[in-house]
Amino acid sequence: MRLAARGVRFAILAVVAVFFVVPLLWLVLAPTKSDAGLVTSHPLAFGSLHQVVLAWQHLDAFSDHLYRAWIGNSLLYAVSATAIVLATAVPAGYGLAFGRFPGRRAVLSLTLVVMIMPAAALVLPIFLELDALHLIGSSLSVILPFAFYPFGVYLAYIYYATALPSGVLDAARLDGCGEWSTFRHVALPLAKPVVALVLFFSFVADWNNFFLPYAVLADSKQYPIQVGLSDLLSSTPSFNPAVGGGGQQVNIFRPELALATLLAVIPVAIVFMLSQRALVRGLVGGGVKE
Amino acid sequence: MIQRRLWPVLVVVALAVAGCSTSSRGGSGPAGSPTSRTVGGDITIWVDSVRLPAAQAYAKAHPNVHANIVTFDGDGNGATTLQTKIQLWNRTGKGWPDVIFSEQVNDPVWMAQKPFDFAAPVKDLIPAELLSQWPAPSTAQCTINGTQYCVQDNLAQVVLWVNKKLMDQFGYTVPTTWQQWAALGDKVAREHPGYIVGNIGDSFSHWIYLWGNQCPLQQLRGSTLLINPADAHCTRAASMLDPLVQNGTVPPLSVFTPDFAKKYGGAEDKILLMPGPAWYAQALFDQTLHIPAKQITAAAPLQWESETPVTTGQVGGGPWIISRHSTNLATAADFVIWATTVYNPTGSESRPGYPAYAPLATTWLKAQATNPYFAADPTPALQGAASQIWSGWNLVTFPDQPVWSNTVVTQLVAGKSLSSLLGPLGNALAQAAQAAGYAVTQQ
Amino acid sequence: MRATRNRGTRGGPGPLFLAPYLPFLLVFGVLPMIYAVGLAFTDGAGGWAGFRNFTRTTGDYRFLPAFRHILLYTSVWLGLLVVLVVGLALLLHGRANRVSATFRFLFYIPGALAGASSVLVWLFMLDPSVSPGSFLLRHVLGSELFVQSIAPGKLPFIFAMIAFWTGAGGWIVVMYGALNTIPQDLEEAARIDGAGPVTIALRLKLPLLRKWIAYMAILSFATGTQLFVEPQLVNQASLGLVPDTWSSNQLAYQMAFRYGDFNAAAAISVDLLAIGLVAAVVIVTRTGLFRADD
Repeated sequence: MRLAARGVRFAILAVVAVFFVVPLLWLVLAPTKSDAGLVTSHPLAFGSLHQVVLAWQHLDAFSDHLYRAWIGNSLLYAVSATAIVLATAVPAGYGLAFGRFPGRRAVLSLTLVVMIMPAAALVLPIFLELDALHLIGSSLSVILPFAFYPFGVYLAYIYYATALPSGVLDAARLDGCGEWSTFRHVALPLAKPVVALVLFFSFVADWNNFFLPYAVLADSKQYPIQVGLSDLLSSTPSFNPAVGGGGQQVNIFRPELALATLLAVIPVAIVFMLSQRALVRGLVGGGVKE
Repeated sequence: MIQRRLWPVLVVVALAVAGCSTSSRGGSGPAGSPTSRTVGGDITIWVDSVRLPAAQAYAKAHPNVHANIVTFDGDGNGATTLQTKIQLWNRTGKGWPDVIFSEQVNDPVWMAQKPFDFAAPVKDLIPAELLSQWPAPSTAQCTINGTQYCVQDNLAQVVLWVNKKLMDQFGYTVPTTWQQWAALGDKVAREHPGYIVGNIGDSFSHWIYLWGNQCPLQQLRGSTLLINPADAHCTRAASMLDPLVQNGTVPPLSVFTPDFAKKYGGAEDKILLMPGPAWYAQALFDQTLHIPAKQITAAAPLQWESETPVTTGQVGGGPWIISRHSTNLATAADFVIWATTVYNPTGSESRPGYPAYAPLATTWLKAQATNPYFAADPTPALQGAASQIWSGWNLVTFPDQPVWSNTVVTQLVAGKSLSSLLGPLGNALAQAAQAAGYAVTQQ
Repeated sequence: MRATRNRGTRGGPGPLFLAPYLPFLLVFGVLPMIYAVGLAFTDGAGGWAGFRNFTRTTGDYRFLPAFRHILLYTSVWLGLLVVLVVGLALLLHGRANRVSATFRFLFYIPGALAGASSVLVWLFMLDPSVSPGSFLLRHVLGSELFVQSIAPGKLPFIFAMIAFWTGAGGWIVVMYGALNTIPQDLEEAARIDGAGPVTIALRLKLPLLRKWIAYMAILSFATGTQLFVEPQLVNQASLGLVPDTWSSNQLAYQMAFRYGDFNAAAAISVDLLAIGLVAAVVIVTRTGLFRADD
């Protein structure tokens, strides 16, 4: 009976895993085939590495290495913003969890409310704010809004509130440590899991964010990769053929689009690998009990 | 400790400064004097993928011009890309390109008006002796409130494309009227199922079948827009098309989708006839659908019974627009002139469309007459149709292609008849027109 | 020492810890919110407009269809999330930990593709001529061609599926982590009492997840109603077959950036905010989300 139950459990999980994994498998294999090959051969068949090289050459040639610029922009925006997020969210989470000053609950509530506010609703006023500060057109118009990550603050707050018993901090204080020292010598080293989590979530959110850069960036050379992908989609014959015909010189077809998408995922995948332990252990519990 | 806290900030500031490049360099050419003949310096050109070779060729032929060429979607299929971009540039006061090519013929209409105010009048930029060589209807489409704001790249009159080889093989004669065409479609469905005589799934199919048949869905009467889908011209065209859509000889698929290519193109070679614009020529049949050579030619546009004058529709004919804000107008104008009156490569690189500039058209037609791809000389049909575009369909400030796609094509795919969709189409067009500020009338 | 100046009223960190965060909260959180609400109630010249912007936008012919679309989409997506995410998390929280870890990893990977990337992948998945799931497309979705896959009636479900594919993994990880906080002794006790795995899951684990489920529902409701990327890209890929004002957020974007009408756009955004807040309040009060947080 037990075995049958486990078998059923495994079967369900396996079917669900197929749903999650097969599209990715297709994505990895698609650049190995030519456009015609995608249609004629089996969807999960492997084509040739030569085709991948060809696809990359076409992709790179698009609009004078624009693809590289897009990836570079995404890295710039995500790394800068995440650095700021870590510097602001971890201390803020700590302060919210253990502080007892007036206004603490107000900040916490505001953070929560802003989190559920449609980000899109905020983009328009943020655009107007950035315009008033004459920042439209610079990278800061993307980095600064990205650096505001209330979810990161909330994560840090929950982590500190639940995982760090205040007894540890009291002990440090009894030893004569001031608040900053307590934070630096006790709370911060113990924050590794949440730092990894916030870093991961912030980086991924910034990397995948579409609406804000779409709205505030006019120059396609400044686009991050997600907006760039939509630009690629709309500028190429396969998906948006010109009224006027032709355009075959642009050479971006489905394998190139698949390659563009695949390469755009790699940095996030790397960050994911590095944050694996913290993620698998989950948000709460796990190592802190030790 | 200070170092620890500041380090990320320092990194961020450093990165931000490094990334803080100014978004556009002003042209270093002569400041705005339109009659200055000094060509050189920087210009930014926005083109779609089809006009990209023209821009690249210009840059190559003019080494003293530093051309920043940006490929975009061309505002194709009724996109609103340019409207959002121009709004953004207007708001920030910088970033406008010097020249834009648009696939939407009606783009100059809103570009010339507030709040966009983007287009520069061409009168001072392009010599009158050149401007006079564009056909009057083409110039009229670029004239808004009495001033000309653009020049068209190509003429896009609808003709009847014929697969001569297949027609001869099946023993059919090329139809000259819509009625003959419909009867043929009926015959083809019975005798050679799988073959098609047209398609109706493109975002511009209404320009082929309804514009050409004088259906008043976009007719300006002063500042009022006439949208009357109940007009006899519309209903009779729809009734003619309904059975053909049903029996599969006029499928609701777009010619540009991989699905269409798979079913009817290249290897299958199932296109018998195709009412379509002049630029279908090699661009569609050869380069997109890979129909083998010596099969395709063009015939005169279809006539409704024996009604005269023969009118046909128009699909595109993209305008070149020069920016009012350009700081290098001389070079911008020079490029536009070059792209429309000089650029005419031969062979596989040749212009896909029938040039709007008449002298260039003559050269282009001569080359097409002897183009080995075609089964017979398509130029008489192309030339003849150029003057037959119905003038009762006017350019407006809102895109009607998405309305057609969204209201009609999706329902055709679901199996509804075109006749039943005329009403909803009219309503949807009226809503779009009103949202764009037009007063709409049905009579 | 700096620390003494910074000590809070009862000992503990002082407000200075919040100092780096507060400017961002104000400039990119609070001010835009106030600004958005302000824009919604003023007109283009800055004067008071009352509810005119709201009546104007609700009267726009694209408004109601867009709201219908996103409400249907959000309901389907929330349903999928709550049922499947919780179900899968419970299934994973068994005893075979390495197997469980592998599955969690597999479920999570698509999360790396959120945004334009995932839509691009699914554009291919929905095209019967290249998709590995063409069998399912033909027989379950009934589409032989790509245009049929994106028929208007199917779109909310398609988008919900895409959103689930990218978002479920993350929430499963969160739920799994939450399940990990359940003390082992409780589980052992239940097992000794003779409870089977299903009973333990439903009676013991599920109630303890209530807070997290509520949190997930609130956030997902908010993000669901803000749908933008998916319909925007499908609009491009379908050559306009799917309108560029399919979702309310797209309509707001068009209002702001195409018509230059920021007031109308703000009105639509405030509508979305109101819906999100109402949903949040309903969920919070019905599940007592804030009771434990103090």
